[in-house]
Amino acid sequence: MLRPVKMSRVVVAGSKDVISPVVEKLHELRLLHIVNYNGNQPQFEIGKPIGKAKEYSEDLIKLRSITRYLDLKNKAPDKTFPESQILSEMDNLLNNVGADVIATYERITAIEAEVKSKQDLIRSLTPLAVLPLPLESYHGYDSLATFVGTVATPIDADVARVSPVNEIYTGSAKNATQVAVFVPADKASEVSAVLSEHGFSETSVPKLEGNVDSAIAAQESSIKTLEAEKAPLLKKLADVKKQHEDLMLATDEYLSMQTQKTEAPLRFAETDNAFVIDGYIPSDQFSRLKSELESAAGGKLEVSLIADKEAEELVEKGEDVPTQMDNPSLVKPYELITKLFAIPEYKEFDPSLLIFVFFPIMFGMILGDVGYGIMIFLVLLLLKKKFRTPGWQQLINVVMIGSVWATIFGIFFGEIFGPLGLWGRIMGHLPEHEIELAKEAGLYFGEGVFGSLGRLGPLGIFPLDRLATNAVLLLIGTSIFIGVIHCSVGSILGIKTFLGYGEKKHAYFEKLPVLLFQVFLTIALLGLIMGQMWMVALGGIFILVSMVMLVMGPEGPMGLAHVPFYLSNLVSYLRLLAIGLASVGLAYAANQLAFYVIMPMLSGGAKDSAEFTTLAIIVGLLVLVSVHFINLLLGILSPFMHPLRLHYVEMFTKFYSNKGGGVEYSPFGHVRRFLKA
Amino acid sequence: MAVVADAGSLYGLLAVGAGLATGLAGIGAGMGEQGIGAAVVGVVAEEPGFLGKGLFLMLLPETLIIFGLAVSLILMFAWTPFAGIVTP
Repeated sequence: MLRPVKMSRVVVAGSKDVISPVVEKLHELRLLHIVNYNGNQPQFEIGKPIGKAKEYSEDLIKLRSITRYLDLKNKAPDKTFPESQILSEMDNLLNNVGADVIATYERITAIEAEVKSKQDLIRSLTPLAVLPLPLESYHGYDSLATFVGTVATPIDADVARVSPVNEIYTGSAKNATQVAVFVPADKASEVSAVLSEHGFSETSVPKLEGNVDSAIAAQESSIKTLEAEKAPLLKKLADVKKQHEDLMLATDEYLSMQTQKTEAPLRFAETDNAFVIDGYIPSDQFSRLKSELESAAGGKLEVSLIADKEAEELVEKGEDVPTQMDNPSLVKPYELITKLFAIPEYKEFDPSLLIFVFFPIMFGMILGDVGYGIMIFLVLLLLKKKFRTPGWQQLINVVMIGSVWATIFGIFFGEIFGPLGLWGRIMGHLPEHEIELAKEAGLYFGEGVFGSLGRLGPLGIFPLDRLATNAVLLLIGTSIFIGVIHCSVGSILGIKTFLGYGEKKHAYFEKLPVLLFQVFLTIALLGLIMGQMWMVALGGIFILVSMVMLVMGPEGPMGLAHVPFYLSNLVSYLRLLAIGLASVGLAYAANQLAFYVIMPMLSGGAKDSAEFTTLAIIVGLLVLVSVHFINLLLGILSPFMHPLRLHYVEMFTKFYSNKGGGVEYSPFGHVRRFLKA
Repeated sequence: MAVVADAGSLYGLLAVGAGLATGLAGIGAGMGEQGIGAAVVGVVAEEPGFLGKGLFLMLLPETLIIFGLAVSLILMFAWTPFAGIVTP
C-alpha cells in the first residue's frame, strides 16, 4: 500500500506475420506499459504502421472537424454501442450527416458575414440621412471634387474664399455638423486644406442609389430575412447534435482506438522479419500476458522476463520504471492529492495512505462542527450525482470523508452551527453555579454537556468550547503533537527512501537528525511546561547530538541552515488551531449578531426571545443564514487548503520527490467508454 | 510622578500587541505570496501539471502568519508574568 505495484521488465519478440493479432491482443489486455524504441541500435529499425493507418487518421480528422462545428464536448456516456454498429453507420455519419453539418455550418458563417457587412453599411449610411441629397448625387462626377464628412465649425465663408464656385449642403448630426461640399476638381487641394482647418473628418459614402432612409430600410429588411434563414439552420445543427452526439463520440473512440493500434509499431523495434516490444508489466500479471499472447500468435512469439540485475542496468541508463499506485478503494481518492504534487518514483513511497490517515483528521479538526459537517456532506452527495468525471468524483470523495470527520470533531467540540446555539438547546448545558465553580478552579473547558451524561473525558474537557482559554492552550498542544507525529512519519519514510536508493550518508546524517530534532525538541518543551528538568536536559542533549550529526552530514555546517526550517515546520501546525478558531469566531459572531444584537434591537430592546417581533426574527435569520453561508464556503476552502499545505510543505519535504517525479503506468490499450466490449 | 497602569489598560495594550503581531505578519505574508502567486498562475497557464508544486511554493510564506499568531496566542493566553495581573 505504501509502495507502488511491483513491476517486471519484459521483452516480446515475434515474427512479423503475427504483428496484427499481437497488437490486437495487447490492446485488449491493457497490461503492457510500452517503452518506446528510440532507434539507437543499428540492427533494428523503428517499426512502420500496419493496416489502414492513413484511412483511420483521415476519418478521424474529418470527424473531429464535424464535432468541432457541432461544438461537441466530451461527456459521460448515456448509451454504449457495439463496434459493428459503428462500422455500419460510420460511412453515413462521416459523409452524409457530416457533409450536411459542414454545409449548414458554412451557410451560417456566410449569413453572419453578410449580416455584419450590411450592419456596417447601415452604420455608414446613418450620418448621411441629415443631408437632403439622394445617394446617387455623391458619385460619378468628372469635373467636380466631393467632400463628405463632419466639421466642427462653419465652413461656408472659408470655402467661398478659395473656391468662389461651390455647392455646400449642411445638416446637424449628434456632436458635429455633417457637410457635403462640391467644388471644381482643380480647387480640390485648396478646399481640402481649408476643411482640415475646421476639423474635417471624412465619411465614406456607399455606392448606392435613391433616398438614404429607404436604403437603410432596405438593408434592415434584408438583415431580417437573413436572420430568419439562420434560426432554423442553428436549430438543425442542434438537432443533429442531439441525435448523433453519443454515436459521434463513440465513433471518435473507435477511430482513436484503431489509429492507436495501427500506429503502435512506431514504438516497436523491427527487422525485416521480426519485431521486438520492450515494456513493463505488474509482476503478478506476467504469466497471464505470456499465455494470452502466445495463444494469440500461435507459437510464433517469445515473451521473456528480464532478470532483475539486467533491468537495474537499464534503469541506470535512464529508463523510467512506471509507477502504478496500489491502494484500497477507500484510499484511492487521495491519490489525486499525491498526483497533484508528483507521481511517486518507482522506488519511492506512495504517500496516499498517509494522506488518507492524516488529511481528514486535520480537515475535521479545523472545521469541527456537526452542522457544517452534515451540510457539506449532503451538498456533496448532490454534487456527486452531477459531476461524474473521475477527477471530480475523487475530489468530492476526499472532501466527503473530511466532512464525516468534521462531524465527529463537532461532537467533541460541542458545536452545531457554531457555539452559543443549537448545542445548548438540544443537548443542554451546565447550570450557572457549576460554570462559576469550574472557572474559579481554572478548569473551565466549556459549558455544554452530552445530554444526561454530563461532561465527559479527563477533567470533563468534552465538549470542548474552542474559544475558552484552557481549550486554546490544550489545542495548541494537540496541534504541535499532531505535527510531530506527522513530520516524524515523514522523516522515517525519508530515511527508508534514501536507504532504498543506497545512499546511507543521506539517510543517517541528513534525515535521521531531523527526526531526532523534532522528537526531542518536543520532549524538551513538554519538560518546560511540566516543570520536569530532566526532560529538558534530555531533549537538549539530543538536540545537540542531532546538530552535530547534521554538521557531519553531506552538506557539512551548511546543514545547520535548515534547522530554522524544521522548527518553523512544527510551529506551522498551529494553523490546525488557528484556522479552526477563525471559523468558530465567525460562527460565534453570526449567532451573537442575530440572537443577541439584531433581534433584541429591532424588537425595541426585548430581553426574552418570546417578545421578539416577526420583523426582527426575519431580519435576524437573514443575517444569520448569510453569515453562516459565507462561513460554510470558507469552511470548505480553508480546511482543505491548509492540510494540503501541511502535507506538501511540512511532510513531503521530509521524504517525497527527492529525485523528481516518476512516470505513471499507462498500459497500451484504451478504456472503452462509448463502445461495448 | 509615577505612571501607574491598571490591569484593564495593561490588558488592552496586550490585545493591541497581539493584534499587531498577527496583522503585520499577515501583511508580510500577503506581500510574499503576491509575487509567487502571479508567477505560479503564469506557469500553470503554460503547464497545468505544475499546479501542485505551484501551490506548494505559493503556500510557503503562509507560515509567517502562523508565527505572528503564535506570538499573539502567547501574549493573550500563555504569558504567565501577566496572567496574574490581567485575569480578573
